[in-house]
Amino acid sequence: MSRPSLLGFLLIAPALLMIGVLFLYPLGFSLASAVTAGGQLSLTHFEKAFELYSTDILFTIFVVIVSTILTAIFSIMIAGVLTLSETPWLVAGLRALYRWPLFIPFIVAAQCMRTFLAKNGLMNNTLVATGVLEPLQATSFLDWRGIIITFVWKQVPFVTLMLAGAMASIDRATIEAGRNLGASRPRILCELVLPQVAQTLLVGLVLSFVTMLSVLSVPMMVAGSQPTMLTVDMAFRINSYGDYATANALGVISYALSAVAAWIYLRHNVKREVQA
Amino acid sequence: MREVKIAVKSASVAIEIEDLKVNYGAQRVLHGVDLDVVPGEFIAILGSSGCGKTTLLRTIAGFQKASGGAIRLFGKDVVDTPPEKRGIAMMFQSYALWPHMTVLGNVGYGLRLRGMSKADVRARVETVLRMLNLTGLEDRKVTNLSGGQRQRVALGRALAIEPDLLLLDEPLSNLDAKVRIQVRAEIKSLQSRLGFTAIQVTHDREEAMTMADRIVVMDQGRIAQVGSPKEVYDNPVSPFVASFMGADNTIDLDVRQGASGLEVRASGQDAPTLWSGRAPMGSVTAYFRDDVATIQDLGAKSEDAIVLPGTITQRTYPGGHYRYLVATGDRHFTVTDDRYLDLGNPVGLRLPLESLHLFPSAQ
Repeated sequence: MSRPSLLGFLLIAPALLMIGVLFLYPLGFSLASAVTAGGQLSLTHFEKAFELYSTDILFTIFVVIVSTILTAIFSIMIAGVLTLSETPWLVAGLRALYRWPLFIPFIVAAQCMRTFLAKNGLMNNTLVATGVLEPLQATSFLDWRGIIITFVWKQVPFVTLMLAGAMASIDRATIEAGRNLGASRPRILCELVLPQVAQTLLVGLVLSFVTMLSVLSVPMMVAGSQPTMLTVDMAFRINSYGDYATANALGVISYALSAVAAWIYLRHNVKREVQA
Repeated sequence: MREVKIAVKSASVAIEIEDLKVNYGAQRVLHGVDLDVVPGEFIAILGSSGCGKTTLLRTIAGFQKASGGAIRLFGKDVVDTPPEKRGIAMMFQSYALWPHMTVLGNVGYGLRLRGMSKADVRARVETVLRMLNLTGLEDRKVTNLSGGQRQRVALGRALAIEPDLLLLDEPLSNLDAKVRIQVRAEIKSLQSRLGFTAIQVTHDREEAMTMADRIVVMDQGRIAQVGSPKEVYDNPVSPFVASFMGADNTIDLDVRQGASGLEVRASGQDAPTLWSGRAPMGSVTAYFRDDVATIQDLGAKSEDAIVLPGTITQRTYPGGHYRYLVATGDRHFTVTDDRYLDLGNPVGLRLPLESLHLFPSAQ
């Protein structure tokens, strides 16, 4: 078709309009307001953002990267057991349980973690009751550790779901060929199965990374004190000071972090296509 | 059968399968299989799809749990041993090459698992690839290989660890006809050169005949017959084996004790023919291959053959000879003959007695 059809354009117009109004316009607006001051191009908002929140930026990067790595490790382990284990009760049990956190909202998860990880929370009480921990040793986990635990707990099912699906669709015989030559289950997982589903794992992790970067409720509820994550700082700038400009600058920094993840993903994709 | 077993046992046995039973859920797919394989032997398991031949192979490899019986490899029972500890190499129907690895990675994987150094792996892989005419392909991705090359890489991966025992699951079914015949010969000559014991599953009769020392014909989870290709071809023990080995034409005969021996008579035949060998009595079904029937003049006498009166209903020339469709009664048989014969001619359909396999008719 040489001439774009008017009807076709009309059909996609509502969707385009929605994207424009609800996403592109606010994005452009916040970008613009982050780099202008008094109608002039300026980086003052960024200077302010870095001055006030450089610790929080590093904290955010740290928390999200550690969470992503732990999510990867747990997802690989669970998906690996689901794919390779020959113990029926273990597979059935894990399969029934692992998806549950997917259906629990972040804010509910954060609320549960508050009572679970607090100094006198369920976790410490259980450890003390079973004699693993002295009552005096009990500390609150409601800081960066709490955020990471909540993020990992919430994201592992999502990545596992994708990963287990991908593992189930690879040729079973490629796993059997490994066992036939004498490879142990962990080696099969790492050397034969994982490379075949690396693409899916990467997609899951990039999506998790971006999700965790944008969650407000978990850092707000689990770790109220400083340092905290960028989302909390943005909410604070807007709610307490009405300082949209600095909040937008922080937002742009979040975009930049997501963009790094997206770039890693795209680069890997291109590399694969060149190889193929 | 008994004598064969004792004779085999006196030599050392590579694989000894005894009363092996396998269930899929509540359904039994192997009903007690017995088989002994001597070292260096090439066995072909032949059967139609669903007969349990692949299940038998997978149970030997350890991917399918046995629900009863024993599998002994060189005297050691492996029924409860996981596949990674059995030390049997297997070649899969889909080849199951690892797509993220090079040819070197695939063929050398088993060696790496055995703790061989990188240089040694490379050297050994080079030897294996030379043996398989794949020299120089070490660093090629397996996804960039042709079907025949992939098949050889899969074979190389299995052979690299120098196994005593190689299982092949329909190794040639994904190749086109020309490559298949070539690879068939290559596998056979590799096997006799390297001396490993091989069990190959196939549904291709010709493949089994040309490659195997002994053929195991399976039917519905049981072994129907074990024997050399010639034995199974010439002396099938059951109607199933006869028709599976190509003797899928049948005529009904009547066998009686006559004055001078056994007499067989087909309906429509004037006089009975003498049968020299052993035969079941009463009404029997004779199984025979297309190529044993010939055309002869109706009047001519024949000592050692049954001659059925018939009419030529169709003639084709596929090249070299004519192919006729001969109608006898309500049956049609395909016969080839060098002569040019007219349609509608009454002729005699000659079936040599030695080529007939007689079994009691199913009631």
